[in-house]
Amino acid sequence: MKKEATQEYEQDLVGDGINSIQKVIDPHKTEAAHATKYVLISVCAFFLFVMLVLPLIVVVINALRDGWAAYTEAVFDEYTVKALQLTLLATVSAVAVNTVFGVFASYLLSKFYFRGRQLLSALIDIPFSISPVIAGLIFILTFGNVGWMGDFLKAHNIKIVFAVPGIILATIFVTFPFVFRELLPVLNAQGKDEEEAAALMGAKGFTIFCRITFPHIKWALLYGIVLCTARAMGEFGAVSVLSGHLRGKTNTLPLHVEILYNEFNTTAAFAVSSILVILAILILIARNLIEWKRK
Amino acid sequence: MVLKTMKKIKENVCLSLLSISLLGGILTGCGNSSESAGKENAAVELLNVSYDPTRELYVSYNELFCKYWNEKTGQDVTVTQSHGGSGSQARSVIEGNEADVVTLALAHDITAIEEAGLIEGGWEDEFEKDSSPYTSTIVFLVRKGNEKNILDWNDLIRDDVAVITPNPKTSGAACWSFLAAWAYQQEQDGQDEPATQEFMKKLYQNVLVLDSGARGSTNTFVENKQGDVLLAWENEAYLSMQEYPDEYEIVAPSISILAQPSVAIVDSNAKSHDTQEAAAAYLEYLYSDDAQRLAGQNFYRPSNETILKEFSDQFDLGMNLVTIEDFGGWNEAYKKFFDDGAIFDQIYEN
Amino acid sequence: MYLEMKHIYKTFDGFHASNDVNFSVEKGDLAALLGPSGSGKTTILRMIAGLDTPDSGDIIINNVKVNSLPGSKRGIGFVFQNYALFRYMTVAGNIAFGLEVQKKSKAEIKERVEELLELISMQDLGKRYPHQLSGGQRQRVAFARALAPNPLLLLLDEPFAAIDAKVRRELRTWLKEMIARVGITSIFVTHDQEEAMEVADTIIVTNQGRVEQIGTPEEICLHPQTDFVADFIDTKRYQAMLLQ
Repeated sequence: MKKEATQEYEQDLVGDGINSIQKVIDPHKTEAAHATKYVLISVCAFFLFVMLVLPLIVVVINALRDGWAAYTEAVFDEYTVKALQLTLLATVSAVAVNTVFGVFASYLLSKFYFRGRQLLSALIDIPFSISPVIAGLIFILTFGNVGWMGDFLKAHNIKIVFAVPGIILATIFVTFPFVFRELLPVLNAQGKDEEEAAALMGAKGFTIFCRITFPHIKWALLYGIVLCTARAMGEFGAVSVLSGHLRGKTNTLPLHVEILYNEFNTTAAFAVSSILVILAILILIARNLIEWKRK
Repeated sequence: MVLKTMKKIKENVCLSLLSISLLGGILTGCGNSSESAGKENAAVELLNVSYDPTRELYVSYNELFCKYWNEKTGQDVTVTQSHGGSGSQARSVIEGNEADVVTLALAHDITAIEEAGLIEGGWEDEFEKDSSPYTSTIVFLVRKGNEKNILDWNDLIRDDVAVITPNPKTSGAACWSFLAAWAYQQEQDGQDEPATQEFMKKLYQNVLVLDSGARGSTNTFVENKQGDVLLAWENEAYLSMQEYPDEYEIVAPSISILAQPSVAIVDSNAKSHDTQEAAAAYLEYLYSDDAQRLAGQNFYRPSNETILKEFSDQFDLGMNLVTIEDFGGWNEAYKKFFDDGAIFDQIYEN
Repeated sequence: MYLEMKHIYKTFDGFHASNDVNFSVEKGDLAALLGPSGSGKTTILRMIAGLDTPDSGDIIINNVKVNSLPGSKRGIGFVFQNYALFRYMTVAGNIAFGLEVQKKSKAEIKERVEELLELISMQDLGKRYPHQLSGGQRQRVAFARALAPNPLLLLLDEPFAAIDAKVRRELRTWLKEMIARVGITSIFVTHDQEEAMEVADTIIVTNQGRVEQIGTPEEICLHPQTDFVADFIDTKRYQAMLLQ
């Protein structure tokens, strides 16, 4: 009785996919299945090695090519530190904005029915399908000098393109759907019952969100935030168009890597890349911790 | 009790979510205010939007100028650099990149900014030597030993030669290279234009990678080892030789072009930043003996004849150089060769 | 009359979920809304609770027309079909929620939660989470949670649907006793005639958005007024049962 009950609740939560695959394959321990398994494993391993592990090793080797002193010099260089700060600022802003937006939008789309619901959901996905370079150009054409809002912004002395706000806007744009996309299925699966029950007891929207909805989406939200962070830190295309490459001002880490590389400063370029790699690994660890916690 | 604390915790999470979003807003605001902070302080900030290969030159020059300006006025000055293809840099200034000064690869790009209303007319005469404090030319960079025996422009159209040069639409070096090749072939063909066009077409069919800026092309050739010959700024070629000694050779073609990178104050930006004085001094000081020597050390040809002579070992001063005036000036040349649908488009698209 | 439904109409995308529904329930009554699935019984329950709004018609609870009152102001306790327990709160937390929302004092909440845990015989399980409970236990928690703010009317949507057939009978008896003990006017929705016959004082038979017949189990069995009722209810079986 109790066991049944737990299982039922587990199914409510996300993904038991791996277990079911095991159940399908394990009973047929034929040789053919074995061979297939090992072929697939080797293909995957080879592909991962060539595409991921090898380049990462190259980054590390090149970063340390001129010794530890050169490495730390590159990493603690004034412009590198400024680029790191800007990257973190853009990332934190993008994550904050997209978390708030993602929560609102996914709540709206999962709990309310209205005309244009599908359209809204599709619109939110635009940054997934549009090239970041085009995203950058869109902002230039909107907020740039010759752009649509150029005169207004100039008259009010507001700088967006080729300045920090532009970098932040571009980062927000490209990471827009991450949190939303993570939350939507979880909220859809939860249904409306618990919220209706709370509302019938007189709870207001904010209380319902904090006490009923939020605990339910907590892990998905964190997961979305992690993905959003990873994408925001690595963003190159849109930011490159909007940055104007002002050293120490509008250079994010990825842009700084490009500049260093263009300055024949290969070692420094790889050293700075290694910062991004380290951040990426931290994010990966966070991601896996969250996935494990979520189970 | 437990219930109450749990409630507290959860409410706190909600609050912190809200405050994070507010923080985002504040930080964005900070970005704005720090941009404008420079005005009130005694220190002055200049933004120099330049073309691709000048990175190293301006790193040293900024140091020199800051020292000079501080001694002269007691004011601290910080110069922010921005580099890219000359054409795309000009475009970014037009679109709102608030440069106080531009130091671009060709006069035409500055004219484009003038036409957008950001630079006042007559900027060419604002500084000496048509506002070109240093010049350069186009040379060939080949791999050590020059196994393909590339000696002059006519070798570039051979089937076995792969050429690296940037895109004239975005890069100044590429425009100069194009014009130099054109001048060479015009002389060979006795001013026969269709024949010259045919030659240029063959040349661009041999182009392996068309990067957007000179530095991109250099990297393609030097770091990624693509192609047999790089059509490069003389200064860029020397820099590559310095970075990778014993790997490359410079070949001077029989005819090349006197490339005159131009400088100008972006008047409307300097006015609104209140940096006119410092901006003018920044460009003026490029003509000082110290700065001219610095240009020479960075492989740019000083416009000061006396100082140029000091570098006669370094530069091949006997090269046969045509000038942009032979093409009727930049406006005419650009219209004829590089505008949409003009000769470059015709030969590249077909 | 404690609850009155007058000329209620409700359509969903052209489907008539309620088509001139009229009935009333007496104070202290335990009424069953009985009908095949799709007959509109759940819609009626949700409209009483304020979770859905009728297109026209009046809902009157305790002589007050509540059409425009939100569900939370109607003095209603609701037990959802799958109980909709707050899965991230303990049993005690679930029961206390409605009282906390009403800003009752800590002491008062504690007392009431203990009282209700005792009522459902789960004194020791207050700190458990819903996923650690059996189906029957969850139903009891849902029942206690609905009763916590002392509602005037208790609504139960298919209260036994999610429960094993074996323990269903046992729970029915339990629920009937509980409701009698608390003395609250209650309406539950069911598609199971045996359940309705056994538990309810009054049965409201619905079909295709209409009320077919209202009456005691006895009346419904012995004197079905429409062909549908006669057909839907296995009258012979219950007549035999009632005679016993």
